[in-house]
Amino acid sequence: MSSKILTFTLNGETIRVVVEPSDMLADVLRDKLNLIGVKKGCGQGECGACTVIMNGDAVTSCIIPALKAEGAVVETIEGIGGPGKYHPLQESFMDLGAIQCGFCTPGMIMSAKALLDKNEQPTREEIREAISGNICRCTGYVKIEKAVSTAAEKIREGK
Amino acid sequence: MKNYNVVGQSVRRLDAAEKATGTAVFSSDFTLPGMLYGKVLRSPYAHARIVSIDTTEAEKLPGVKAVVTYKNTPREIFNTSATMTFTVPALKPVLDQYIFDSVVRYVGDEVAAVAAVSEKLAEEALKLIKVEYEELPAVFDPLEAMKPEAPDIHANCKEGKNIIGEIIKIPMGDVEKGFKECDLVIEKRFKLPIVKQVQMETQAAVAQVEVNGKITVWSTTQTPHPTRMILAKIFGVPNSKIRVLNPPYVGGGFGVRIGLSAKAEPIAVALAMQAGKPVRVIYSREEDFMASDTRHGGYVTVKLGAKKDGTFHALDLKAALNGGAYCSFSTETPGVLGAMGLAVYRIPNQSYYGHSVYTNVTPAGAMRGFGNPQAMFPIESVVDMMAEELGMDPLELRLKNIMRAGDPWCLPYPCQSTGLAECIERGAKSIGWERRGSLNQPGAKKLRGIGVGVGTHVSNSWPFCVDYDNAIVTVQQDGSIHLASGVPDIGTGTSTALPQLAAEVLGVGLEEVSLTFGDTLSTPFDIGSHASRTLYAAGTAVVAAAEDAKRQILEYAADFLKVSPERLEIKDSLIYITGRELGEDCAGTGVCKTGEERISVTLQELAYHAHLRNKQFIGVGRIVPENAPPWHAHFAEVEVDTETGQVKVIRVAAAHDVGKAINPVIVEGQIEGGVLQGVGYAVSEEIVHDAKGRPLHNSLHKYLLPTAEDIPEIDAIIVEASDPSGPFGAKGVGETGLVPTAGAIANAVYNATGVRFYEIPMTEEKVFRALSAAKNSTC
Amino acid sequence: MLQDYLIPETVEQALSHLQGGKGRARVVAGGTDLLLDLANGKKEAGVLVDLTRIPGLQEITLEDDLIRLGAAVTHNQVAKSKLIQEKASVLARAARSVGSLQIRNTATVVGNVVNAQPAADAAVALVALGAVAEVVSPSGKEYIPVEKLYAGVGKSVLDSTSQIVTRIQFPALLKNQGSAYERLEQRKALALPMLNVAVVVSLADNRFQWARIVMAPVGPGPVRATEAEAILTGADVSLGNIENAAAAARAQANPRSSALRGSREYRLEVLPVLVRRALEAAVVRAGGNC
Repeated sequence: MSSKILTFTLNGETIRVVVEPSDMLADVLRDKLNLIGVKKGCGQGECGACTVIMNGDAVTSCIIPALKAEGAVVETIEGIGGPGKYHPLQESFMDLGAIQCGFCTPGMIMSAKALLDKNEQPTREEIREAISGNICRCTGYVKIEKAVSTAAEKIREGK
Repeated sequence: MKNYNVVGQSVRRLDAAEKATGTAVFSSDFTLPGMLYGKVLRSPYAHARIVSIDTTEAEKLPGVKAVVTYKNTPREIFNTSATMTFTVPALKPVLDQYIFDSVVRYVGDEVAAVAAVSEKLAEEALKLIKVEYEELPAVFDPLEAMKPEAPDIHANCKEGKNIIGEIIKIPMGDVEKGFKECDLVIEKRFKLPIVKQVQMETQAAVAQVEVNGKITVWSTTQTPHPTRMILAKIFGVPNSKIRVLNPPYVGGGFGVRIGLSAKAEPIAVALAMQAGKPVRVIYSREEDFMASDTRHGGYVTVKLGAKKDGTFHALDLKAALNGGAYCSFSTETPGVLGAMGLAVYRIPNQSYYGHSVYTNVTPAGAMRGFGNPQAMFPIESVVDMMAEELGMDPLELRLKNIMRAGDPWCLPYPCQSTGLAECIERGAKSIGWERRGSLNQPGAKKLRGIGVGVGTHVSNSWPFCVDYDNAIVTVQQDGSIHLASGVPDIGTGTSTALPQLAAEVLGVGLEEVSLTFGDTLSTPFDIGSHASRTLYAAGTAVVAAAEDAKRQILEYAADFLKVSPERLEIKDSLIYITGRELGEDCAGTGVCKTGEERISVTLQELAYHAHLRNKQFIGVGRIVPENAPPWHAHFAEVEVDTETGQVKVIRVAAAHDVGKAINPVIVEGQIEGGVLQGVGYAVSEEIVHDAKGRPLHNSLHKYLLPTAEDIPEIDAIIVEASDPSGPFGAKGVGETGLVPTAGAIANAVYNATGVRFYEIPMTEEKVFRALSAAKNSTC
Repeated sequence: MLQDYLIPETVEQALSHLQGGKGRARVVAGGTDLLLDLANGKKEAGVLVDLTRIPGLQEITLEDDLIRLGAAVTHNQVAKSKLIQEKASVLARAARSVGSLQIRNTATVVGNVVNAQPAADAAVALVALGAVAEVVSPSGKEYIPVEKLYAGVGKSVLDSTSQIVTRIQFPALLKNQGSAYERLEQRKALALPMLNVAVVVSLADNRFQWARIVMAPVGPGPVRATEAEAILTGADVSLGNIENAAAAARAQANPRSSALRGSREYRLEVLPVLVRRALEAAVVRAGGNC
């Protein structure tokens, strides 16, 4: 039996979960911790739907071995806001038509959040770089870009 | 311009919060207690007979609960596509698929499937299935497949060698005579690639079969009701015993699942039946690429004849499309290609001849535009060639010839609206059309160009396919509204736009309306989401249902308020007598203090009043839609690096006549997403096969759709040339975003370089070779 | 099937894990290539030994004009590092061009080199910078030029079940030196290169002291265009000389035909264009002019 206990901080809470060494972080988050906001679009790190923030950086969790997250700080879409207290990115995505089928949305928002957490005044190029690994086939990225820069503005104003 | 309360407003989508918080449930998220995981074994050969298949080792693996092959699944023939299984006469259905067959016809074709307690175990079990194949000759190009020496891929080809179903012929006037009367005739053949929808959620289904035989399937289908009918046929079960629903969200579609989601649903059901437990099948991304419908590639020939004053006088259009190994939508697609190609310009003599051909590659089926993009890249290229020959501005030539409302055309419904001229005008302004010809300095290595492409489409598939809608509006006991419609929301925003329509007609706030959608159990039949139809057609049914409910409300209120119903109106859930001041009155108290008659009553009070008297207002809408043409004009500015051949699309101005934008932000989003798919179609996307028929582009890494760092400036322009047949004048938009794009980009590349492309995508290598050849030929 | 995933705290511990694994334990850093290779059977491992938490390996340092990158340094760290942007910009640009931001946040530059793909962007830039790998194994520490790490297409001379690259180092560019990176790609993210070229030049009085021109994928590993470099050594900075060098580079290149990323003929045609553009840009950054 090769199971191990993975201990890490998930959306602000300390979590302990039993994993196999061959488990990927995305599958642990989805299947063992029921965080269906972490989506799987390819399983190869190529679409970004599984993006979470790990130690401040956006990463594609489907190719991160779960045990690599030992002691790490991980954020998923479930932890950034909800009814009554949405994150500015959630607000702007909802208000500006940046959501169509919604499958890329959680990963897209997490990539954007990782950017805005470090840089409250991103240029258009920086926004595009931040979401370069998040494929959206519905929107053409136009309203997504607008939502990210609008959220950045809101965050700056909020200070 | 009428002002509406909620129609025409860019209200926040009703599903936005679920999607922005990650709580929205998709089929691939859906689980049931005791659920098993299904995996599929696929053919490594492009064409082979299964000589033997031995599943005993796989069955013995602990944790494996079911193994299915052609030997133990229903031998019931079908077609995965929603409309083809039940066609409108005179078109005959082409049924050529089984869940599993003893012959495999493309690399990736289904051979067997396993359900086990984990995905890993299911995959291990697949490796234990022993299959002996006898390889057969294979063919991959449609023109090759029509040659007498090509292998026969199916036994039912009556129209010719490997020709799928029927040949579509659309005659109008007399083309032979017409060409003789022309001053100028241009004829050219074009080649179109195989491309893929690449919707973000792969094909998926969860099937549960109860001990009483009832089947429930949660899946990614774009059309729950037709999918139910297909499953009922396959498994020999009455429709009423099968429920198909989306759970409720679908991660995109773009045509890949109009009908079954490839084979996900029937395989999940077959496994669930055998295992006695629910089974979930999720296609991997590689499976989604290899084993779910693509867009038809193929060959399109355009012959256009004009008078020297620029009047188009004859058009002959031909298409031979690559249908792949199974029919799917391979008879309708050439039909739409022809019908749409012939419907853009006013030409008295036209002819279309087109069909698909079986080959041993992934089946081609429906993809956004459905033949129209394949028609318009060639046609718009030839129109530009004609403009150059005639010495006319390409816009001028188009404006001279485009359809006007009331002009005759080949379609079986009238052209009642067109805003194409306005689209052209506004798009030209946005791109800066007047800059053409002065974009490049002499000696520049990076050349810029501007081009245009136009087109039309449909607002649903009537009368070509079975196409009708039903909707039910139920007024609840507290005056809130429940709307039921059988269409799904695959991302296009129907779950917001349909309530907007109901709210507008009923005179209630949007927040009063809740919608059940995409569930065969709780909604009446609706064809579903395809053919850019949900707003136009399902919307018309919703409007009809809401009007029916409103009629009942006003009749009842008329009795309550003691006036005739014609004097009543509803606004913000208040039924009031028009023409009277709405001041203080006793509405809601039941007691008239002032002694005056009541002049209004809230819907809440009225509905409850009716409930206490054993009555509920239920509005039913049953419609067969008409059809109406949306119109679009795309303008593209490109920059070509002549030293590498790279084409960069700088800007696209996309002007769309949608009749009426019920929710403008949603409409813009549809246009913008479509444009980017059109850019990919023009410059980078394609699936090619190796000599053994294996697709080389089978992952997101290899398939070159545009990323966020590849996007041009996109200016989505909404034009509203209201159509009398659409709800509030609306027409379809969903598929239109990429119909004219490739033509516009190809024309822009010509404007930049003087080199014309008869094939897309215009990859860097193709462009480089063409530029080199042009350079060498002018030396 | 992986039996264990270990995160050692020191290099010694990592070596000991590898030894204990007897060939079944291998090194992993970001894992963006390795995990996929394990999943589809291209590589095998029973135990993975993750280097990324070993203190000291996450740093980019400058000491005595030598820049060192630890084994855990990610592509994004390198792309955003002011030090690298100023004193080795070719590497910053090369690292920036890889994959997507998520991949760059995870994938390490050292891992990219050890994975030994012929057109690995960071590796091509490192060869142009004259980079050397510090390799640790039970038999001690050795220094191997990155250029010499290639045993064949996708094959490193290194054995990841017993050897660990702890750092890669190269001289920081001086004021009279400039570098450039040119990449021919089919889209701007999530794309492997059709061609990549890395160039470092050293000038004096508007003449080339030396140049390193590295091109890929035109051989089993990054290829030095040595004849082109020879043409430039001691030559005046001029467009003519640059074009000659570009033509010579083409003559030394041997690209295959890729069904996905360009035919041999096409790549041979465009290669000199990239070499020329890279040399022009590097010259400007070195303070020269054509």
